[in-house]
Amino acid sequence: IQPPEKPLRAEEWKRLREGFSSPEIFEDVMLNSMVRYNSPIDVAKSLLTHVAKSHGDIAYSLLIKYLALCVQQGKTSEIRDVYDIMKTRFKILESGAYNLFIRGMSNSDQWRMALTLLEEVKKIMIPSRANYESCIKAASRHREMNLAFELYREMLDKDLVPTLDVLQAFFDSSRGMKGAELQKELFGILFYLRDNQIYPHKTFMRSVKLWFESIPGETWRGHLTSIKDSGECPVCNHQLEDSNLTEEEYDNLRERIVRDVIHGTDPFRKTSPQEFEAFQAFVESRLPFDIVIDGLNVSHMKPRQTQCENLFNAVNCLAKGNARLLVLGRKHMLSNSSSWRKELMMEMQNKADFFFAENISEDDTFLLYATLQSGKHCKFVTRDFLRDHKACLSDSVTRHLFRKWQRGHQIAFYSSAEGNHINFLPALRYDCVVQTTGDTWHIPYKNSFEEKYSYQVPRQWLCLHQK
Amino acid sequence: PSEKIDLDGWKKVMKSGLQEVSETVSEQKELSALDGARELLEMWRLAGRSVPENITEEQLKDFIGCPSKSAQKKYLKFLYIKELRKKSDKRKLIEKRERLQAQERESKPDETKKNSFMCFWANSMDKAYNWRVAQSMIFGQPLVFDMSYENDMTIREVANTVKQIVLSEGFNRRSVDPFHIHFCNLQEDSLYQKEFIKHYREAWDRLLVTATDQCYTEVFPKDKLVYLTADSPKVMKTFDHDKIYIIGSMVDKSIKTGVSLARAKRLGLETAALPLEKYLLWSSGAKNLTLDQMMHILLTLKDTGDWKKALEFVPKRKYSGFINKP
Repeated sequence: IQPPEKPLRAEEWKRLREGFSSPEIFEDVMLNSMVRYNSPIDVAKSLLTHVAKSHGDIAYSLLIKYLALCVQQGKTSEIRDVYDIMKTRFKILESGAYNLFIRGMSNSDQWRMALTLLEEVKKIMIPSRANYESCIKAASRHREMNLAFELYREMLDKDLVPTLDVLQAFFDSSRGMKGAELQKELFGILFYLRDNQIYPHKTFMRSVKLWFESIPGETWRGHLTSIKDSGECPVCNHQLEDSNLTEEEYDNLRERIVRDVIHGTDPFRKTSPQEFEAFQAFVESRLPFDIVIDGLNVSHMKPRQTQCENLFNAVNCLAKGNARLLVLGRKHMLSNSSSWRKELMMEMQNKADFFFAENISEDDTFLLYATLQSGKHCKFVTRDFLRDHKACLSDSVTRHLFRKWQRGHQIAFYSSAEGNHINFLPALRYDCVVQTTGDTWHIPYKNSFEEKYSYQVPRQWLCLHQK
Repeated sequence: PSEKIDLDGWKKVMKSGLQEVSETVSEQKELSALDGARELLEMWRLAGRSVPENITEEQLKDFIGCPSKSAQKKYLKFLYIKELRKKSDKRKLIEKRERLQAQERESKPDETKKNSFMCFWANSMDKAYNWRVAQSMIFGQPLVFDMSYENDMTIREVANTVKQIVLSEGFNRRSVDPFHIHFCNLQEDSLYQKEFIKHYREAWDRLLVTATDQCYTEVFPKDKLVYLTADSPKVMKTFDHDKIYIIGSMVDKSIKTGVSLARAKRLGLETAALPLEKYLLWSSGAKNLTLDQMMHILLTLKDTGDWKKALEFVPKRKYSGFINKP
């Protein structure tokens, strides 16, 4: 229903209510649609007056809706009035009301009131990240950076994940401000992005650039660029960090893959202990490999060709540089059918080592194990994003390690439209993550806000260096 | 004069009635966690969220113990819907009673009914059913429920599992030729056991099933066992009256593929999946069925051997029709 444009008198509300199909929820529906149409608050006030005079009281849910309308229109004094009324009328308030109060007050000149409200919320529950967001933004808008950072740290302590919006607000409002302490805090945010492998989007990147260039007394210059395949920045000729893991990280990752991904809760789910032992012995006796290939994944590359022709092409292509290859497959590939011809399979086995798992086993887990066991130089070939395996890892630190290792070691492929040619996308030689050397910063960023797949790595970079 | 509308009149009303309320509010003490939660829920209810009206202390503790805000929300909604259902059931019962009373008043009381059939009371039906099940315990084909999944489930999943098994047992008891049900790997004092006793009370000890903490491999010869699991690579062609089928007593609301297949692999048992894709045009939904649906299907297969008839018990929303020529 469309709310009236002007305040109505009691009789007029009464008439409207009687004409409505279900009068018992008339006020709720009416106030909801006032919020939707952003009606003038005087109209809502006249409805509340009518309700108050006929019932002697106003239900909590109606007050909340009225409050939402006031917040939407930034009517600060009205918000305060509603707060006073609610505080005396009810013993405690619930999260919905507090969300509105904090949002409403933080956008006004009485923004410190929002901080008091935040303290009140803490007494009954853990505040939401939106609550913190409102308060932090209010504080940084008024250039109270210490306060803003204090709230930010408090939020992280409570395991709340800040939105990129809040982080961006820090850079926006620190523009042109001086102070070593402040600079350290902002660098801290960039390290937060690095540790959690978060890529900022374009507008965020611009805020970072503008802040760097505005630091008084320093001569930062920012350029947008894309990094060469060799890992060199074309602007400042700086070589980016390589994607290798440290010895310790590497061992840790390998151990966790065996424990969480291959064995998991039950070693029989993905393979069987006998089969895994046989595979381990097989790998040990032939180490090290240079490239490990997911045979079945590669064999589906071109639908026009038979599966074994696809695999044959890929093996030929990858075997060129005298690389030691391991192809993983399943036993059904040996059955000499129309899609798996015996003579081609025989020929391939001269060029590469093959391991055939049981038909009901998962060959991906073998792929991960063989690659990690071969050492840091070893790469693997599959089009699979391995997201389900990443999900088996129990903590985020190891998952980040896995992603880093995957970026540096996975060879993806695509087939060109004509001919048998296969194109392999080499693994990245440099690590795609926020990084610094002190006098340079390199920050990868996403072109738009929507790109969100974990396997996608941005190609654009912000290069910052001092003149 | 019509322009004059009192806009802030509501504030006066809200503030005027406050004197007596604010006095009680002023002597506010530190609320205990439970009381605080109760107050909070009450406010949420007033705000129009899906929160139950009445909540027990135990439920309140569960609510506080939820690991995240979304878990709390889900739990409250669950309780809220349960409460709504209870209320509407009660209302329907009262309506039915009134309707019956009205009917009685209308019908003439003097006519006595004459019937040549003996009246079958529930009691004597039970006796007839029990006789059949007792026979099946001696001569019937065994059907095993594998009760070894407690650690793979949440408490609520275990409760759902037991509910489904109770239903299955009921269907089996009333069928023409019942299975001899075995609960294998059922440990004393397990969650399963506790839930069973909740449902059956004292009837649990009189239930005509075989419950044992032994594994089915200890009770039956290995080569006769077939583990039914949707993850099996083998598809069942016909129902074999000499085999002993095993159903995993597990409700899996999260995604845990291959748990029961792993169990069968570990023990080196034969496995089989229902031929759902051979007979049905599958549209959506997981291929794992509830335990009572499995029971219906197996009972029908045992009696008729007709796949089409048996697979009628697959929920209609999961498939769009039968395949004409399988």
